[in-house]
Amino acid sequence: MDIKKLERSPSEDLSAISSRERREFLRLGLAITGLYLGGSVLSLVSVKDAAAFGGVVPKIGEYPYNPHYTMVIREELCIDCERCKEACVKTNQVPSYGYRTTILERRRQLTEGKSETIFMPVLCNHCNRPPCVRVCPTTATWKDEKTGIVMMKPSRCIGCKTCMTACPYNARYFQEEKRAVDKCDFCWETRLSKGETTTACAAACPADVRVFGNLADQKSRVYQLIHTPETIVWTLRPETGALPNVFYTNA
Amino acid sequence: MKAMNIIFFSMLALLLAGGIAAQAEEAGQAAVAAQEAYDEDAYGPEAPIIWEKPVKAVVFNHKTHTKDKKLECDACHDSLFEQDTGAAEQKADFTMNTIYDGGYCGACHDGETAFASDTRCTACHIGARGENRLRQAENPAETAPAHH
Repeated sequence: MDIKKLERSPSEDLSAISSRERREFLRLGLAITGLYLGGSVLSLVSVKDAAAFGGVVPKIGEYPYNPHYTMVIREELCIDCERCKEACVKTNQVPSYGYRTTILERRRQLTEGKSETIFMPVLCNHCNRPPCVRVCPTTATWKDEKTGIVMMKPSRCIGCKTCMTACPYNARYFQEEKRAVDKCDFCWETRLSKGETTTACAAACPADVRVFGNLADQKSRVYQLIHTPETIVWTLRPETGALPNVFYTNA
Repeated sequence: MKAMNIIFFSMLALLLAGGIAAQAEEAGQAAVAAQEAYDEDAYGPEAPIIWEKPVKAVVFNHKTHTKDKKLECDACHDSLFEQDTGAAEQKADFTMNTIYDGGYCGACHDGETAFASDTRCTACHIGARGENRLRQAENPAETAPAHH
């Protein structure tokens, strides 16, 4: 075995698997579990359900939780200064090899051969129909009945990483120290449960990109932002039918 | 599965081919740029300034303003900016609010002379990722300082 050659060979870990391939794999899983369990243990939401959902903004009054915690990202204001990441790492003891939130970068071609950069903060979308929760075999992760936060109990996690594969947002990583999957909990453990009203990332943002709040409260900024007239609100990967609670806008 | 693999690998091949073509194009542009010598005495330092305060990863290129946009040195020095490296960063009023009010970059970036300073954020704020890339391009051995 030539070690030098081996080092140059492509990685075979999760990071090398495309999102599409992962979902194809999960669909395969659905067929197999359907056959043996007669259920949909590994299923994602069917195409019918996804299509039935008209827009990404929930209808007024149809918020399953109260407080219905939500983050609205005012995307064009993000400058990738990464203070949010630093605050998250510090607050939630996130190791260097993982993240609970990160910033993605896109290039958009403009006229005359120019281009612009768009930074896209991403984190757990605390979906109303979280694919990660559906696939967890040990109920180590669940949707909190009161707040809608997708919680994680490390002591119940067996490290099978199926949730990491199921998540459409790459919002989970395996924390070696805890021997468990770790993820964003909207700072529930470190801040909200202690009386703080916002997440560490939102508090640290100098450009007011991340707005956190209760969507069920019509006076809240998050509610106002996603119901502003003549603005576009979008979510990431709406086609998965997961009904994410992180909304993007340029309002 | 087999068909999927074929699709996957052909997509991969296309991506790779695209990447190589883009690299070649960039190298070509760099060669053209290198032919026209850049006169630092006339146009200011060639290396971009990367500001770290009050937020990190903000870039300024002398070349864009002097050689490309034909501004004279005294358009900014020393009325808006002292010539000492990092002088502006030391000042408490070196903030976006000052710029919105017409200070520093805001003297021109007002929406009339040049794009307004409360638009196109990422034109100057290249971000931590952009800074890493820029520093690596400038000096392949160097990477951006670790976060504190």
